[in-house]
Amino acid sequence: MTDPRSRTGAEWVTFFLACLVLLGVVGLIAGQIIGDQEPAAPNASVNGEVEARGPRFHVPVLVVNDGDTTAADVQVVAELTIGDETVTADQTIDFLAGGASDDLVFVFEDDPADGDLVVRVGGFSLP
Amino acid sequence: MSRRPSKGDGGRGPWREELVDVVRAVSGGLLFGIPLLYTTEVWSTGSSTRPDQTLVVLGLTTVPVLLLNRTSGFRSTRDIRWGDALMDTVEAMAIGLLSVTVILILLGELNGRTPLQEGLGQVVYGSVPFCIGIGVAAHFLQRARDESDEDDAGGGDTDTKGSERMNGTLADLGATLIGAVFLSLSIAPTDEVPMLASALDPPWLLGLMGLSLLACYGIVFVAGFAKEEQRHAQRGIFQRPLSETVAAYLVALGASWSMLVIFQNVEGPWPATLSQVVVLGLPAAIGGAAGRLAI
Repeated sequence: MTDPRSRTGAEWVTFFLACLVLLGVVGLIAGQIIGDQEPAAPNASVNGEVEARGPRFHVPVLVVNDGDTTAADVQVVAELTIGDETVTADQTIDFLAGGASDDLVFVFEDDPADGDLVVRVGGFSLP
Repeated sequence: MSRRPSKGDGGRGPWREELVDVVRAVSGGLLFGIPLLYTTEVWSTGSSTRPDQTLVVLGLTTVPVLLLNRTSGFRSTRDIRWGDALMDTVEAMAIGLLSVTVILILLGELNGRTPLQEGLGQVVYGSVPFCIGIGVAAHFLQRARDESDEDDAGGGDTDTKGSERMNGTLADLGATLIGAVFLSLSIAPTDEVPMLASALDPPWLLGLMGLSLLACYGIVFVAGFAKEEQRHAQRGIFQRPLSETVAAYLVALGASWSMLVIFQNVEGPWPATLSQVVVLGLPAAIGGAAGRLAI
Protein backbone atom coordinates (compact mmCIF):
# COMPACT_ATOMS: atom_id res chain seq x y z
CA MET A 1 0.00 0.00 0.00
CA THR A 2 2.76 2.40 0.81
CA ASP A 3 5.78 3.31 -1.20
CA PRO A 4 7.99 5.34 1.13
CA ARG A 5 10.15 8.05 -0.34
CA SER A 6 12.40 10.67 1.17
CA ARG A 7 11.81 14.38 1.51
CA THR A 8 13.27 16.23 -1.46
CA GLY A 9 15.87 18.97 -1.14
CA ALA A 10 13.22 21.53 -2.06
CA GLU A 11 11.02 20.34 0.79
CA TRP A 12 13.93 20.59 3.23
CA VAL A 13 14.61 24.18 2.09
CA THR A 14 10.93 25.08 2.62
CA PHE A 15 11.03 23.46 6.06
CA PHE A 16 14.18 25.36 7.01
CA LEU A 17 12.69 28.70 5.92
CA ALA A 18 9.41 27.88 7.70
CA CYS A 19 11.33 27.15 10.90
CA LEU A 20 13.02 30.54 10.65
CA VAL A 21 9.68 32.32 10.19
CA LEU A 22 7.94 30.46 13.02
CA LEU A 23 10.87 30.85 15.41
CA GLY A 24 11.01 34.55 14.54
CA VAL A 25 7.31 35.06 15.31
CA VAL A 26 7.50 33.04 18.54
CA GLY A 27 10.64 34.94 19.53
CA LEU A 28 8.97 38.32 18.94
CA ILE A 29 5.92 37.31 21.00
CA ALA A 30 8.12 35.89 23.76
CA GLY A 31 10.09 39.12 23.80
CA GLN A 32 6.85 41.01 24.38
CA ILE A 33 5.96 38.70 27.26
CA ILE A 34 9.36 39.04 28.94
CA GLY A 35 9.55 42.82 28.52
CA ASP A 36 7.97 45.24 31.01
CA GLN A 37 4.32 45.99 30.29
CA GLU A 38 3.57 49.60 31.21
CA PRO A 39 -0.16 50.30 31.77
CA ALA A 40 -2.11 52.07 29.07
CA ALA A 41 -1.49 55.83 28.97
CA PRO A 42 -3.24 57.57 26.06
CA ASN A 43 -2.33 61.22 25.54
CA ALA A 44 -3.75 63.76 23.09
CA SER A 45 -2.06 66.82 21.62
CA VAL A 46 -2.53 69.26 18.76
CA ASN A 47 -0.46 67.94 15.86
CA GLY A 48 0.20 70.63 13.26
CA GLU A 49 -1.30 73.89 12.10
CA VAL A 50 -4.96 74.79 12.42
CA GLU A 51 -6.45 75.00 8.92
CA ALA A 52 -9.25 77.33 7.85
CA ARG A 53 -11.66 75.38 5.62
CA GLY A 54 -14.43 77.69 4.47
CA PRO A 55 -16.23 79.09 7.53
CA ARG A 56 -14.76 76.45 9.88
CA PHE A 57 -11.40 75.66 11.43
CA HIS A 58 -9.87 72.17 11.41
CA VAL A 59 -7.61 71.22 14.33
CA PRO A 60 -5.43 68.12 13.77
CA VAL A 61 -4.97 66.08 16.93
CA LEU A 62 -2.65 63.15 17.55
CA VAL A 63 -3.56 60.58 20.21
CA VAL A 64 -0.73 58.31 21.34
CA ASN A 65 -0.89 55.43 23.80
CA ASP A 66 2.43 55.77 25.62
CA GLY A 67 1.79 52.57 27.60
CA ASP A 68 2.23 48.97 26.47
CA THR A 69 -1.30 47.67 27.06
CA THR A 70 -4.42 48.50 25.08
CA ALA A 71 -6.81 51.31 25.99
CA ALA A 72 -10.43 50.96 24.85
CA ASP A 73 -13.14 53.59 24.36
CA VAL A 74 -10.60 56.40 24.57
CA GLN A 75 -12.55 59.64 24.90
CA VAL A 76 -10.69 62.62 23.45
CA VAL A 77 -11.97 66.07 24.43
CA ALA A 78 -11.16 69.42 22.83
CA GLU A 79 -12.25 72.61 24.63
CA LEU A 80 -12.04 76.01 22.96
CA THR A 81 -12.51 78.98 25.31
CA ILE A 82 -12.98 82.46 23.80
CA GLY A 83 -13.88 85.11 26.37
CA ASP A 84 -16.49 83.61 28.69
CA GLU A 85 -17.74 81.07 26.20
CA THR A 86 -16.39 77.51 26.06
CA VAL A 87 -17.14 75.16 23.17
CA THR A 88 -16.49 71.47 23.83
CA ALA A 89 -16.14 68.70 21.26
CA ASP A 90 -15.31 65.05 21.85
CA GLN A 91 -14.52 61.91 19.90
CA THR A 92 -14.07 58.27 20.95
CA ILE A 93 -11.45 55.80 19.71
CA ASP A 94 -12.62 52.17 20.06
CA PHE A 95 -9.19 50.59 20.56
CA LEU A 96 -5.74 52.07 20.94
CA ALA A 97 -3.10 49.38 21.37
CA GLY A 98 0.07 49.95 23.39
CA GLY A 99 2.38 52.25 21.44
CA ALA A 100 -0.29 52.92 18.80
CA SER A 101 -1.39 56.35 17.62
CA ASP A 102 -4.42 57.74 15.87
CA ASP A 103 -5.05 60.98 14.00
CA LEU A 104 -8.21 62.96 14.66
CA VAL A 105 -9.55 66.28 13.39
CA PHE A 106 -11.72 68.59 15.52
CA VAL A 107 -13.84 71.20 13.79
CA PHE A 108 -14.68 74.58 15.38
CA GLU A 109 -16.77 77.49 14.14
CA ASP A 110 -14.35 79.99 15.68
CA ASP A 111 -10.63 80.42 15.11
CA PRO A 112 -8.74 78.65 17.94
CA ALA A 113 -6.07 81.38 17.61
CA ASP A 114 -8.58 83.83 19.16
CA GLY A 115 -8.82 81.85 22.41
CA ASP A 116 -7.43 79.00 24.49
CA LEU A 117 -7.61 75.48 23.06
CA VAL A 118 -7.19 72.51 25.40
CA VAL A 119 -6.99 68.98 24.00
CA ARG A 120 -6.98 66.08 26.46
CA VAL A 121 -8.00 62.49 27.01
CA GLY A 122 -11.20 62.45 29.07
CA GLY A 123 -11.04 58.78 29.98
CA PHE A 124 -10.73 55.21 28.69
CA SER A 125 -11.51 51.66 29.68
CA LEU A 126 -9.25 48.63 30.02
CA PRO A 127 -10.31 45.76 27.74
CA MET B 1 10.92 10.35 6.51
CA SER B 2 8.48 8.46 4.37
CA ARG B 3 5.37 9.42 2.53
CA ARG B 4 2.71 7.85 0.44
CA PRO B 5 2.87 9.25 -3.07
CA SER B 6 -0.33 10.26 -4.83
CA LYS B 7 -1.38 10.32 -8.44
CA GLY B 8 -0.50 13.98 -8.83
CA ASP B 9 3.05 13.26 -7.89
CA GLY B 10 5.07 12.73 -11.01
CA GLY B 11 6.20 14.56 -14.10
CA ARG B 12 7.57 17.71 -12.44
CA GLY B 13 10.92 18.47 -10.89
CA PRO B 14 11.16 18.62 -7.11
CA TRP B 15 11.38 22.44 -7.04
CA ARG B 16 8.35 22.88 -9.29
CA GLU B 17 6.49 20.28 -7.26
CA GLU B 18 7.35 22.20 -4.09
CA LEU B 19 6.22 25.50 -5.61
CA VAL B 20 2.89 23.92 -6.58
CA ASP B 21 2.47 22.58 -3.04
CA VAL B 22 3.16 26.01 -1.53
CA VAL B 23 0.76 27.74 -3.94
CA ARG B 24 -1.86 25.09 -3.09
CA ALA B 25 -1.32 25.85 0.59
CA VAL B 26 -1.80 29.60 0.06
CA SER B 27 -4.88 28.95 -2.10
CA GLY B 28 -6.49 26.73 0.54
CA GLY B 29 -5.73 29.30 3.20
CA LEU B 30 -7.28 32.08 1.12
CA LEU B 31 -10.47 30.09 0.61
CA PHE B 32 -11.01 29.53 4.30
CA GLY B 33 -9.29 32.50 5.86
CA ILE B 34 -10.25 35.52 3.77
CA PRO B 35 -13.72 36.21 5.29
CA LEU B 36 -12.30 36.56 8.79
CA LEU B 37 -9.56 38.88 7.55
CA TYR B 38 -12.38 41.28 6.59
CA THR B 39 -13.78 41.31 10.14
CA THR B 40 -13.23 44.23 12.50
CA GLU B 41 -13.67 42.03 15.54
CA VAL B 42 -10.69 39.90 14.50
CA TRP B 43 -8.51 43.00 14.13
CA SER B 44 -9.64 44.44 17.46
CA THR B 45 -9.25 41.10 19.25
CA GLY B 46 -5.75 40.82 17.87
CA SER B 47 -5.04 44.43 18.85
CA SER B 48 -6.22 44.12 22.43
CA THR B 49 -4.84 40.68 23.23
CA ARG B 50 -1.89 40.17 25.56
CA PRO B 51 1.30 38.55 24.19
CA ASP B 52 0.86 35.45 26.36
CA GLN B 53 -2.65 34.99 24.97
CA THR B 54 -1.30 35.42 21.45
CA LEU B 55 1.29 32.70 22.08
CA VAL B 56 -1.40 30.34 23.42
CA VAL B 57 -3.59 30.95 20.34
CA LEU B 58 -0.59 30.25 18.09
CA GLY B 59 0.11 27.02 19.96
CA LEU B 60 -3.52 25.87 19.95
CA THR B 61 -3.77 26.49 16.19
CA THR B 62 -1.04 23.96 15.53
CA VAL B 63 -3.21 21.13 16.96
CA PRO B 64 -5.96 21.05 14.30
CA VAL B 65 -3.42 21.88 11.59
CA LEU B 66 -1.29 18.89 12.66
CA LEU B 67 -4.31 16.57 12.65
CA LEU B 68 -5.38 17.87 9.23
CA ASN B 69 -1.86 17.43 7.85
CA ARG B 70 -1.94 13.85 9.06
CA THR B 71 -5.11 13.16 7.07
CA SER B 72 -5.15 15.70 4.22
CA GLY B 73 -2.63 18.55 4.27
CA PHE B 74 -1.55 20.74 1.39
CA ARG B 75 0.87 18.46 -0.43
CA SER B 76 0.19 16.17 -3.35
CA THR B 77 1.74 13.43 -1.22
CA ARG B 78 0.12 12.20 1.97
CA ASP B 79 1.94 12.11 5.28
CA ILE B 80 2.07 8.58 6.66
CA ARG B 81 4.26 9.43 9.66
CA TRP B 82 3.65 11.91 12.44
CA GLY B 83 7.12 13.37 11.84
CA ASP B 84 6.18 14.36 8.28
CA ALA B 85 2.89 15.79 9.46
CA LEU B 86 4.71 17.80 12.11
CA MET B 87 7.14 19.24 9.57
CA ASP B 88 4.28 20.12 7.23
CA THR B 89 2.53 21.79 10.17
CA VAL B 90 5.54 24.03 10.75
CA GLU B 91 5.44 24.94 7.05
CA ALA B 92 1.67 25.50 7.10
CA MET B 93 1.93 27.82 10.10
CA ALA B 94 4.75 29.82 8.50
CA ILE B 95 2.93 30.08 5.16
CA GLY B 96 -0.24 31.15 6.97
CA LEU B 97 1.51 33.80 9.07
CA LEU B 98 3.36 35.25 6.06
CA SER B 99 0.27 35.25 3.82
CA VAL B 100 -1.91 36.94 6.45
CA THR B 101 0.79 39.56 7.01
CA VAL B 102 0.88 40.40 3.29
CA ILE B 103 -2.93 40.58 3.04
CA LEU B 104 -3.28 42.77 6.13
CA ILE B 105 -0.60 45.11 4.74
CA LEU B 106 -2.46 45.34 1.41
CA LEU B 107 -5.74 45.97 3.25
CA GLY B 108 -4.03 48.79 5.15
CA GLU B 109 -4.56 47.18 8.56
CA LEU B 110 -0.82 46.81 9.13
CA ASN B 111 1.48 49.72 8.41
CA GLY B 112 4.63 51.35 9.68
CA ARG B 113 2.76 52.88 12.62
CA THR B 114 1.32 49.59 13.87
CA PRO B 115 2.98 48.62 17.18
CA LEU B 116 4.68 45.21 17.17
CA GLN B 117 2.39 43.73 19.82
CA GLU B 118 -0.76 44.81 17.97
CA GLY B 119 0.56 43.59 14.63
CA LEU B 120 1.55 40.19 16.02
CA GLY B 121 -1.88 39.79 17.61
CA GLN B 122 -3.71 40.64 14.40
CA VAL B 123 -1.54 38.33 12.30
CA VAL B 124 -1.84 35.38 14.71
CA TYR B 125 -5.63 35.70 15.10
CA GLY B 126 -6.08 36.15 11.36
CA SER B 127 -3.93 33.12 10.63
CA VAL B 128 -6.11 30.70 12.64
CA PRO B 129 -8.68 30.01 9.87
CA PHE B 130 -6.01 30.56 7.23
CA CYS B 131 -3.79 27.76 8.59
CA ILE B 132 -6.78 25.41 8.95
CA GLY B 133 -7.56 26.14 5.30
CA ILE B 134 -3.99 25.14 4.44
CA GLY B 135 -4.57 21.88 6.31
CA VAL B 136 -7.42 20.91 4.00
CA ALA B 137 -6.05 22.47 0.80
CA ALA B 138 -5.19 19.20 -0.96
CA HIS B 139 -8.51 17.63 -0.04
CA PHE B 140 -10.54 20.40 -1.65
CA LEU B 141 -8.37 21.79 -4.42
CA GLN B 142 -6.66 18.80 -5.89
CA ARG B 143 -9.61 16.45 -5.74
CA ALA B 144 -11.91 19.10 -7.11
CA ARG B 145 -9.62 19.64 -10.07
CA ASP B 146 -9.19 15.91 -10.66
CA GLU B 147 -12.92 15.35 -10.67
CA SER B 148 -13.56 18.40 -12.80
CA ASP B 149 -11.01 17.30 -15.37
CA GLU B 150 -12.34 13.77 -15.49
CA ASP B 151 -15.83 15.10 -16.08
CA ASP B 152 -14.56 17.42 -18.78
CA ALA B 153 -12.63 14.68 -20.49
CA GLY B 154 -15.54 12.30 -20.57
CA GLY B 155 -18.39 14.39 -21.92
CA GLY B 156 -19.48 16.48 -24.85
CA ASP B 157 -18.54 14.20 -27.75
CA THR B 158 -21.82 14.66 -29.57
CA ASP B 159 -22.06 18.44 -29.37
CA THR B 160 -20.89 20.68 -32.13
CA LYS B 161 -17.61 22.49 -31.55
CA GLY B 162 -19.21 25.95 -31.46
CA SER B 163 -21.89 25.07 -28.96
CA GLU B 164 -19.32 23.23 -26.82
CA ARG B 165 -17.20 26.36 -26.66
CA MET B 166 -20.22 28.46 -25.73
CA ASN B 167 -21.45 25.92 -23.17
CA GLY B 168 -17.98 25.66 -21.64
CA THR B 169 -17.69 29.42 -21.44
CA LEU B 170 -21.14 29.85 -19.91
CA ALA B 171 -20.47 27.05 -17.42
CA ASP B 172 -17.21 28.67 -16.34
CA LEU B 173 -18.67 32.16 -16.08
CA GLY B 174 -21.69 30.84 -14.20
CA ALA B 175 -19.52 28.87 -11.80
CA THR B 176 -17.33 31.94 -11.28
CA LEU B 177 -20.39 34.06 -10.54
CA ILE B 178 -21.83 31.54 -8.08
CA GLY B 179 -18.52 31.09 -6.29
CA ALA B 180 -17.91 34.86 -6.14
CA VAL B 181 -21.35 35.48 -4.64
CA PHE B 182 -21.01 32.54 -2.26
CA LEU B 183 -17.76 33.72 -0.65
CA SER B 184 -18.34 37.48 -0.64
CA LEU B 185 -22.06 37.52 0.17
CA SER B 186 -21.42 37.55 3.89
CA ILE B 187 -18.86 40.38 3.56
CA ALA B 188 -20.76 42.72 1.21
CA PRO B 189 -23.25 44.15 3.78
CA THR B 190 -20.63 44.83 6.46
CA ASP B 191 -19.09 48.17 7.42
CA GLU B 192 -15.63 46.71 6.89
CA VAL B 193 -15.81 47.18 3.10
CA PRO B 194 -16.28 51.00 3.09
CA MET B 195 -13.97 51.24 6.11
CA LEU B 196 -11.12 49.44 4.35
CA ALA B 197 -11.78 51.11 1.00
CA SER B 198 -11.72 54.61 2.44
CA ALA B 199 -8.25 54.07 3.90
CA LEU B 200 -6.60 52.66 0.75
CA ASP B 201 -4.59 54.78 -1.68
CA PRO B 202 -4.66 54.03 -5.44
CA PRO B 203 -1.27 52.19 -5.38
CA TRP B 204 -2.59 49.97 -2.60
CA LEU B 205 -5.74 49.27 -4.63
CA LEU B 206 -3.58 48.26 -7.60
CA GLY B 207 -1.66 45.93 -5.29
CA LEU B 208 -4.94 44.43 -4.10
CA MET B 209 -5.99 43.90 -7.73
CA GLY B 210 -2.66 42.19 -8.43
CA LEU B 211 -3.14 39.90 -5.44
CA SER B 212 -6.69 39.08 -6.56
CA LEU B 213 -5.50 38.13 -10.06
CA LEU B 214 -2.64 36.06 -8.62
CA ALA B 215 -5.02 34.23 -6.28
CA CYS B 216 -7.46 33.67 -9.15
CA TYR B 217 -4.71 32.20 -11.32
CA GLY B 218 -3.02 30.24 -8.53
CA ILE B 219 -6.15 28.47 -7.29
CA VAL B 220 -7.27 27.28 -10.73
CA PHE B 221 -4.08 26.78 -12.70
CA VAL B 222 -1.46 25.95 -10.10
CA ALA B 223 -3.01 24.60 -6.92
CA GLY B 224 -5.44 22.23 -8.62
CA PHE B 225 -3.66 21.35 -11.82
CA ALA B 226 -3.16 17.65 -11.31
CA LYS B 227 -3.97 17.32 -15.01
CA GLU B 228 -2.95 20.66 -16.39
CA GLU B 229 -2.97 19.59 -20.02
CA GLN B 230 -6.63 18.57 -19.80
CA ARG B 231 -7.54 21.95 -18.36
CA HIS B 232 -5.82 23.62 -21.27
CA ALA B 233 -7.68 21.35 -23.67
CA GLN B 234 -11.04 22.25 -22.14
CA ARG B 235 -13.40 23.97 -24.57
CA GLY B 236 -14.54 27.55 -24.21
CA ILE B 237 -13.82 31.09 -25.31
CA PHE B 238 -11.71 32.04 -22.27
CA GLN B 239 -9.84 28.79 -21.78
CA ARG B 240 -6.34 30.20 -22.03
CA PRO B 241 -5.12 30.66 -18.44
CA LEU B 242 -4.48 34.40 -18.66
CA SER B 243 -7.68 35.28 -20.52
CA GLU B 244 -9.73 33.03 -18.24
CA THR B 245 -8.16 34.63 -15.16
CA VAL B 246 -8.87 38.18 -16.39
CA ALA B 247 -12.42 37.31 -17.49
CA ALA B 248 -13.13 35.60 -14.17
CA TYR B 249 -11.79 38.61 -12.27
CA LEU B 250 -14.06 40.95 -14.23
CA VAL B 251 -17.02 38.70 -13.37
CA ALA B 252 -15.96 38.81 -9.72
CA LEU B 253 -15.77 42.63 -9.81
CA GLY B 254 -19.24 42.74 -11.40
CA ALA B 255 -20.58 40.44 -8.68
CA SER B 256 -18.96 42.63 -6.02
CA TRP B 257 -20.55 45.79 -7.39
CA SER B 258 -23.96 44.11 -7.67
CA MET B 259 -23.86 42.88 -4.09
CA LEU B 260 -22.77 46.27 -2.76
CA VAL B 261 -25.69 47.88 -4.64
CA ILE B 262 -28.16 45.24 -3.42
CA PHE B 263 -27.11 45.75 0.19
CA GLN B 264 -27.04 49.54 -0.30
CA ASN B 265 -23.45 49.61 0.89
CA VAL B 266 -22.15 51.88 -1.90
CA GLU B 267 -20.98 55.18 -0.50
CA GLY B 268 -19.76 58.41 -2.05
CA PRO B 269 -18.66 59.29 -5.60
CA TRP B 270 -17.42 56.77 -8.16
CA PRO B 271 -13.77 56.58 -6.96
CA ALA B 272 -15.04 55.52 -3.53
CA THR B 273 -17.36 52.97 -5.13
CA LEU B 274 -14.52 51.64 -7.26
CA SER B 275 -12.37 51.23 -4.15
CA GLN B 276 -15.13 49.29 -2.43
CA VAL B 277 -15.61 47.05 -5.47
CA VAL B 278 -11.86 46.29 -5.58
CA VAL B 279 -11.75 45.58 -1.83
CA LEU B 280 -14.69 43.17 -2.07
CA GLY B 281 -13.25 41.86 -5.34
CA LEU B 282 -10.51 39.90 -3.52
CA PRO B 283 -12.86 37.47 -1.72
CA ALA B 284 -15.11 37.44 -4.79
CA ALA B 285 -12.20 36.46 -7.06
CA ILE B 286 -11.11 33.72 -4.66
CA GLY B 287 -14.68 32.42 -4.46
CA GLY B 288 -15.01 32.58 -8.22
CA ALA B 289 -11.87 30.51 -8.70
CA ALA B 290 -13.09 27.95 -6.19
CA GLY B 291 -16.44 27.89 -7.95
CA ARG B 292 -14.82 26.88 -11.22
CA LEU B 293 -13.10 23.99 -9.46
CA ALA B 294 -16.17 22.84 -7.58
CA ILE B 295 -18.93 23.13 -10.17
